[in-house]
Amino acid sequence: MRRDTYRAVVVGAGIVGLFTAYRLARAGAGPVLVVDRGFLSGGGSGRNGGGVRQQWETRATIRLAREAVADWKRFGAEFGYNVWFRQGGYLFLAESGAELERLRRVHDVVRSEGLGSTMLSEDGVARRVPGIAPGATVGGSFLATDGTLYPFPAVWGVYDAARSLGVEVALGVEARGVVARDGVLQAVVTSAGTVRAPTVVNAAGGWSGEFSRAAGLDVPNVASRHEILATEPVRPFLDPMVVRASDGLYFSQTMRGELVGGVTVPHAPGTGRGVPSSPRFLTGMARALVGLVPRLAGLGVLRAWTGYYDDTPDGLPVIGDDPRLRGFVHADGFGGHGFMLAPAATRRVAAAVLGERSDLDPAEFSPARFLPGRTAPAAERLQLG
Amino acid sequence: MVDPPARSPLGSGTGPGGPAAAETLLQSLARRGFPNVVRSVRYHRPRGPFCGLGHCAGCLVRLNGRPNARACRHLVEAGDRVRTENAWPGPRFDLLGALDLLFPRGLDTLHGFRRPAWATRTYHRVVRRLAGYGAAPDPVAGAVPGPAPRGEATDVVVVGAGASGRAAAASLVGHGVRPLVVDRSLGPVDLAGADVVSRTTVTFLPPPRPDGPRPFVLLGFEESGRGVSIRARAVVLATGGYDASLVFEGSDRPGVIAADLAFRLAPDGEQLPFARALVFGGGSRARAVLDRLGPSVAALAAPGDIGPDVVRRASELGVPLYPRSLLVRARGRSRVRSADLRARGRTTRYSVRCDAIVLAHRRLPNSPLLFQAGARMTWRSPPGAYFPETGPDGATSVPGLFVAGSAGGFAEDDRRVSGERAARGAATGEGAREPGAPVPPAAPSELDGYYRELLAERRTGKWVVCPCEDILLEEVEAASRAGFRGIEVVKRYTGLGTGLCQGRYCLPDALLLLSHLEGRPANEVGYITQRPPLVPTPLTALAALANEFGEEAVA
Repeated sequence: MRRDTYRAVVVGAGIVGLFTAYRLARAGAGPVLVVDRGFLSGGGSGRNGGGVRQQWETRATIRLAREAVADWKRFGAEFGYNVWFRQGGYLFLAESGAELERLRRVHDVVRSEGLGSTMLSEDGVARRVPGIAPGATVGGSFLATDGTLYPFPAVWGVYDAARSLGVEVALGVEARGVVARDGVLQAVVTSAGTVRAPTVVNAAGGWSGEFSRAAGLDVPNVASRHEILATEPVRPFLDPMVVRASDGLYFSQTMRGELVGGVTVPHAPGTGRGVPSSPRFLTGMARALVGLVPRLAGLGVLRAWTGYYDDTPDGLPVIGDDPRLRGFVHADGFGGHGFMLAPAATRRVAAAVLGERSDLDPAEFSPARFLPGRTAPAAERLQLG
Repeated sequence: MVDPPARSPLGSGTGPGGPAAAETLLQSLARRGFPNVVRSVRYHRPRGPFCGLGHCAGCLVRLNGRPNARACRHLVEAGDRVRTENAWPGPRFDLLGALDLLFPRGLDTLHGFRRPAWATRTYHRVVRRLAGYGAAPDPVAGAVPGPAPRGEATDVVVVGAGASGRAAAASLVGHGVRPLVVDRSLGPVDLAGADVVSRTTVTFLPPPRPDGPRPFVLLGFEESGRGVSIRARAVVLATGGYDASLVFEGSDRPGVIAADLAFRLAPDGEQLPFARALVFGGGSRARAVLDRLGPSVAALAAPGDIGPDVVRRASELGVPLYPRSLLVRARGRSRVRSADLRARGRTTRYSVRCDAIVLAHRRLPNSPLLFQAGARMTWRSPPGAYFPETGPDGATSVPGLFVAGSAGGFAEDDRRVSGERAARGAATGEGAREPGAPVPPAAPSELDGYYRELLAERRTGKWVVCPCEDILLEEVEAASRAGFRGIEVVKRYTGLGTGLCQGRYCLPDALLLLSHLEGRPANEVGYITQRPPLVPTPLTALAALANEFGEEAVA
C-alpha cells in the first residue's frame, strides 16, 4: 500500500467494490484503496451466471434494476470493454395455477413501474423454449428487456477505469478488522498493515458477514454456497434466461453457445476458500434440465463451479451507513444479485460515503432495519439458484 | 446466416466391406485420407484431429442427432448417422472460412463490437450465430429415459489399465484384494481376478478432503451414456501421460498431431493418412514414433539435443535430423504442406516438406484427478509440469490416494514396479501422511527459453494458443501488457482453457509463455482449478444418478 491514510478503504475487489471505488474517485473523494484477499474475479463476480433482471416483488429493487439495465447498456461505450449485454429476456415458468398467480402479482408490480412485462400461455412459453416438455408448464411471465452479460469484462473495465482515476487496488491483501474510538472508525487493519481512513466500505460479497463481525458489528448476513454448471457450446437455440421459481432452476445460453445455469440445493451455510462442487447439485441440476427440456439429454456438461451468495433475512441488500459505527458503510447482502445491480447500487454506496442524501427510499435497504426491535419493511422472495 | 438444413453427410461410417472389428469412427474416416471434419469455433479455420484421446475439438461430428461427438471416442456401428456440423457447405470448403481471411489479426470481442450503439443487436445476432460447434440436440417427442446407472462399491479402485494400472491390479489380486479397474480406452480390458468398468471416464465428486470422510466417490459415465458411481476405500491412479501440444504459427492446422494420435490413427502401423511426417522431439517418445512410423517419416527435429539411440534409428531409416531447432511455422491451409524450422540461437532457417507434424517433444502426466483430489503437487522441469509429491509406495499427500506410472512421474521403465508398490500400499493401509518429494534436482528443460526465442519471430498469421476456443497468442500478450497476471486471471481475461479440452492442451504451453511474459517462474504463474466433470459428461448420465445423491448431505 502506497499511503498510510486514505479517504476510503473498500473491502473486496469484486464488481461492487470496484464500482464503488470508481464512483468515489470520479466524485473526487480523495485517495481510495481497494483490498482483496484473492485474485481479481476470484469471488462471486467471477462465478455468477451473468443474469440481469428487473422482475422482482419489491419496488425498490425493480427501480434499482431498471437503472442498472440502463447502465449495462452504456457500459461498453463508457468503459471500453464489451460485456455483451444481450437483452434476450427473463422467462419465469409456472408449474401450477398458484405459481402463475404469483407471477401475475409480480407482473402487475413490474408493469406498474413502467416495464413492459407480459404473461405467456403454455404455447407462448413453448415458442421461446424450443423443446420444452409438453405439460411442463402452465404459462409464465416474460420481460424482454431483461438479459444476460459476460461478468468478466465488466470487472476488467471497472478495474481499469478505477485505477486510471488513481484508485489503488491491493490484491492478495486481507482486511481483518477495524480500529474504532467512541463509535467512530479510525483505521482498517489488513494483512499488510493498518491504514488510517474515516470510511470503510464492506463490499466483501460472501465474506461480508465475516468482516462486519470482525469489526464488532452483529449482522444477520449469511454466506450460502451455490453451484453452477456449463455445458459444451452448441449453436444458439435459446434466447431468454429461463427460470422456474419453484425450485430455483435457471439457465440461459451464453454468446459462446454454452448453457449456463443452476438450481437450488439446500447447502449448509458457511464459507471457505476450498469450494468443491457437489454430486447432489450436478446430478440434480442435470435431472431438472433434462426433465424440462428432454432434447438436452445427450448434451455434455463441461464444468461446474461454486460460489457464495451473501444472504440477508429479507432477501434485500444492505446499503448505507451502519448506525452503530460511524464510517462503516455497507455494500453487502446482495444475495446473488450483486453483479446485476452493482452499477446502480454503488451510486447509493458512494453517496453514503460522501454523506450525500440518497434518492432511494432508505428503509428497504437500510442497515438499521436489522437492529433489535426493528422490523424489515419489505421482503424479496423471488430468489433463484 | 441460416442453419443449412443438411450438413455434409459422412455416410454411415462403414466402408464397402463393413467396419473392421472395433474400429473407431476416426480410424474409419482416416482410411479415406486425413480427416478434416470440423472447422474452428471462431474463425472457421480448417481443423483436424490432434489428440485421438477424446479431448481436443478436432474430430467433432454430429452423431445420431447428438452434437459435438468425438469421432475418436466412438466405435463404428452399423446404422450410425454421422454428419459434419459447423461448416457450410462442408469442412473442406467452408464459406465462413472467409472470417479467417478477413480478420488476419483476429476479432477483438473483448473491446470490439461496442459502437455504434444501435448496431448492438445485430452484433449479438451475428456473433451468436458463429458461436458453438454443433446445433443443439434434435428435439425429441418426450422424456427419454437414459440407461440405468451403475453403482459400484469396492475396497480398492485402480483408475487406468495401462502398464502400471495392470501391474497394480495384478499385484492387488496377489495381496488378496479384488480390485475394481476403471479404464477409459475403447478396447476390451481383461484382468484375471479384477472387476472391470471399461470405456468409462471418471471424476472425483465430491473432491476428497485431505482428512475427510471416506470412501472416495468417483462419478463417471460409460461411452454408452450410462452414469457410473464408484465408492472405494483406496484409489490407485494410473492415468498415464499424454503428448503436449506446441504453439507456433499454424500449430492448429490439420496434420499437426500429437504422437498419441499417430499411434491411434493406425494401430497396426498401416494405412496412415500421411506419407511424409516431420517428427518433433529427440527423446524416447520420438524414438517410439520412429519405430512405429519409420518409412513415413521425412525428417526429425528437436528443441534440444537428439538422443543417441534416436540418432542411430534415424540414420538407419535415412531420416535427416535438425537438433536444437525452433518449430516456427506450419505452412498449408487445409493440410500441412511444409514446416519452417530455425536453428536455436542462430538465424539459419530450414524448410521441410511434410504432410504431417508429429509432436513427441514433451510427455505430460495425466494429472487432473490428482489436482482434483487436492494432492500436493510440485513443479518439475523438465518436462515443465506439476507432479504429485509421493512416498516410496506411491502414496500422495491425500490418505488413501496412491499414484503409479507416468501420472506420478515414475520413469517409463518403472511403470510396472511403481504399480506393484502402489498396490502394496493401497492393500495394506493409507500410505504415508507426509510423503516426501522425490523430485530430482531441476534440470534445465529443452523448452526453457524456447518461447523467448520463438516469440522474437516475425509473425505473418495467427498463432493459436487455445484451439478449442480459437484464442490467439496476441490476446494472451495483451492481457499481460494490461497488467492481468497469473493463469487464473489470464484464463478469465482471454477465455484460454475454457473450451472442450478444459485446458489440458493449452495450459501447459500457456504456463511457459506466461512465465516468459510475466518474467517469473512458471510455477508462480499458478494453475487453474480442475473443475468436474473433467470431460464433457452427458446430462442424461448425470441425471440418472440423481436418486443416488439426491438426499446426500452437502457439507
